Amino acid sequence: MTSQLNHVLNAMDQLVLEVIDSKSGTVKLLGGDNDWVKALFPQLCPQQSFTISDNTPFLLDFLHDARQVWLGQNDARIRSGLWTEVTENKTELHLEAIAIKKQQKNFLVITNQLEEFQLQQHTKQLARELLLSNDRLCIQNEYLHSRLLSIFKQPPQQSALPTTLTKIIENAEFCVIITDNELTPLVENSAARRLFKEDKPFQIQPDKPIDIILKLMKNQLPEYDRILSTKAHWNGELCWMSPPATLKWLKISLYPVKTKLNEVENWIVFANDISTIKYLVQRNEQLALQDMLTELPNRFSFWQTLEKHITSGKNFYLLYIDINNFRRHNEFYGHDEGDKLLVECGKRIKSMIKGSDFIARIGGDEFAIILTDIDHRKACEIAIQRIIDNTKKPFATSKGETFTVSISIGAANFPNDAQTAEDLMKFIDLSAYNGKKNNKNTIQFYSQSMRDTSHQLIQLEHELRLAIQNNELELYLQPIVDLAKSTITKAEALIRWNHPTKGLIGPDKFIPVAEKSDLIIAMGEWVIQRTCQMVKKLTKLGYRIKISMNLSSAQVTDNSLFSYLHSCVEKYKVDPCLLEVEVTEGVLVDDYSVANKLLSKVRTIGMSVSVDDFGTGYSSLSYLKQLPLDFLKIDRSFINDIVTDDNDKAIVRAVIALAHNLNLCVIAEGVETKEQLHFLTDNSCNSVQGYLFSRPVQFKNFVELLKNQQINGTD
Amino acid sequence: MIQKKICLLGASGVGKTSLVKQFVEGIFNEKYLTSIGVKVDKKIISLAEQQVQLMLWDIEGQDRYHVFQERYLRGAAAYIIVVDQTRTISLRQGIDIHTLARQSTNCPAILAVNKNDLPAAWRLDEDEYASLAPLFDLHFSTSAKTGEQVEAMFLAIAELLHGNKKNDITT
Ligand SMILES: Nc1nc2c(ncn2[C@@H]2O[C@H](COP(=O)(O)OP(=O)(O)OP(=O)(O)O)[C@@H](O)[C@H]2O)c(=O)[nH]1
Ligand SMILES: [Mg+2]
Repeated sequence: MTSQLNHVLNAMDQLVLEVIDSKSGTVKLLGGDNDWVKALFPQLCPQQSFTISDNTPFLLDFLHDARQVWLGQNDARIRSGLWTEVTENKTELHLEAIAIKKQQKNFLVITNQLEEFQLQQHTKQLARELLLSNDRLCIQNEYLHSRLLSIFKQPPQQSALPTTLTKIIENAEFCVIITDNELTPLVENSAARRLFKEDKPFQIQPDKPIDIILKLMKNQLPEYDRILSTKAHWNGELCWMSPPATLKWLKISLYPVKTKLNEVENWIVFANDISTIKYLVQRNEQLALQDMLTELPNRFSFWQTLEKHITSGKNFYLLYIDINNFRRHNEFYGHDEGDKLLVECGKRIKSMIKGSDFIARIGGDEFAIILTDIDHRKACEIAIQRIIDNTKKPFATSKGETFTVSISIGAANFPNDAQTAEDLMKFIDLSAYNGKKNNKNTIQFYSQSMRDTSHQLIQLEHELRLAIQNNELELYLQPIVDLAKSTITKAEALIRWNHPTKGLIGPDKFIPVAEKSDLIIAMGEWVIQRTCQMVKKLTKLGYRIKISMNLSSAQVTDNSLFSYLHSCVEKYKVDPCLLEVEVTEGVLVDDYSVANKLLSKVRTIGMSVSVDDFGTGYSSLSYLKQLPLDFLKIDRSFINDIVTDDNDKAIVRAVIALAHNLNLCVIAEGVETKEQLHFLTDNSCNSVQGYLFSRPVQFKNFVELLKNQQINGTD
Repeated sequence: MIQKKICLLGASGVGKTSLVKQFVEGIFNEKYLTSIGVKVDKKIISLAEQQVQLMLWDIEGQDRYHVFQERYLRGAAAYIIVVDQTRTISLRQGIDIHTLARQSTNCPAILAVNKNDLPAAWRLDEDEYASLAPLFDLHFSTSAKTGEQVEAMFLAIAELLHGNKKNDITT
């Protein structure tokens, strides 16, 4: 070893060891004798070999990897990664080891990586502190949002409201603005004024924070109009540029505060300055165009790419994918699970498209795809079907619960449907939104008639809201006959709409609209209240009749439902044993845990629970066993043909046996003939309901029926 | 003497380094200094019949700046998944890391829900707890700040591993 080489190695802060025996880890110094080397290996003497020991446990462990290299045939090298060693005199060494095989010789090089360590330490420290503060910000956002909502929910003491709100928002570290339904600010905190203060020297009238935010949204979001008109919750990132000196990245959240009638009373607006986070991310070119969560290209990258494609003038399809009920999922399983779902969903979609196609995450639960080399609709449909098939497969939470999601896909063609990026986006957004209405996997290609339909629906929703206010809804009762007693013991409450001009409208026409718009909650509360009143009246007349009411999926997941039920029971002083809630099998499967919790609570206060539409496809017997239930209602589709169809006979017999096994009573729906009735009686069905006895009737007619009790069907 | 290698895994900032520091030196530092790479500390624990030397592998937090490296788990007698009870997301990240770790080792896994001196951001209901608990051999609610359950945790791990000679590194 020349002293020259030793000089060089010392200058490079390296130590080179020759491997004498790779099995035992015996090595000999070739060069490098800086002070840190002696501190690291106190036993080291020149010319003498020594064995690496558990004094340096990390290095000892690295020998496993090193041997792979040393015992191999070819030239190779492997690095250990950085580690920190504390020497006898308590100084820290930041090191990295490299195992090398070169021309049949084996070496172990150890480098003092202080500089690299400090560099990484410095950048990662900054990055991680930001990560943590971003987490903290999200937690604060969520906390303040729910706090504000709970205040809005309290009985109004309008005069005190602004003061209360001001107090609550003033200490938030981020901008908070609360507006009326027209987006005119009522209160804002000082963080809002700070964030939007501009460094313009001679500005006379500074823009109001809310105006700046709305302008940015309008300019940067093609779905802006839709968000406002559908009263949707939105959050995302916007860039605020105001020459000469302002460039800020803002994370904006816009939340509607709605009344029970689904009217917006207020908007809550949050704005967080995320410029530093962005800046850090942007230092890495690739990350800047990437969505942090899914690692897919982000919204900005998407716009760039879309513009490029449009400039190229070639035909392509643009798809917009939206996960149905993502918000509900998020609330139910928690945001972390929501994030996980997004990542997985992105992966699955990506695996279904060609490498030359382009996918980006462009919003909360929204993905956009550009399909190139496709020039006709059929091919596009096939591609979409592949995506749907793959997202239909079950997902799992980190706790192993499985669930499924459905997606809505909007599609539009360039150049046939639209020629600009903005129009294309508007159209596919509208298409997907239209497809969403039935909560199934849907594909919607953009069409002119779509606008009209969407208008009609908005109109219907509007009328329905009035209907609730104007008392146009009415509750009909359909009797349920107990076969053992041959009397009416129960009735199902069914809602009807007496439309002032269109006449009587059935629930199948308006319930879906109500469900879509959250009006279902107000409507459900109306049903509960009305039912309690009816039960009370019947009791007064001397009839102990139980009334069952249908709960939709949105009601089951509504946190306040149970307390509302409970308060009505107290207010009208009805015996809860005379109330029953009815949920469909589908709801039980979709919202299993919430339904389970709710139904258990309902039963603890004495109400009973029945499962509607049983047998219509989910056959979730394992679920049934664990749920707190009292009645199964066999779907009418099985009853229709029980006299003639052996298959249906067998199914109905099996369901009855199963139910009895689980200590559940069985109600058959849609009973219309005596033959059907005989079959059910013979097979120990407990109760029946159907036109054979009575259609759904108004309350006064129901009372008549009770008076007569001479039911047609029971001889 | 028996030596056992124990790895501390988890997202960044959950308190892996602080737990080791509290256990080995009895010191806690409020200031966050993120770890780079690996640092191994040793501490001898006296059990009833013998002494065990714990080799504590404090590994840089696994996040988007540093991916999980399964080779660090080689020869581990146990690993601790540390999560931060003030940040719900760290629990998910911890479970993800646990899932990855399980692909390369079957050694006992311990869950440490750290920072229990601060208010918890999440509360597990019984169902969630029931589904989480079986994933781990032991679990503790710790504070590197007050020292609560820190020594107890390492002691319990040593006792759990004691007699399980399979993963001894050297003797
Ligand atoms: N209050 C409180 N703070 C803690 C506790 N444990 C750690 N901290 C603080 O949390 C921050 C992060 O702690 P570290 O021990 O460095 O976290 P780490 O998991 O090693 O982080 P990385 O090395 O970046 O992966 C520091 O500011 C600690 O002071 C605890 O039990 N209670
Ligand atoms: Mg650390």
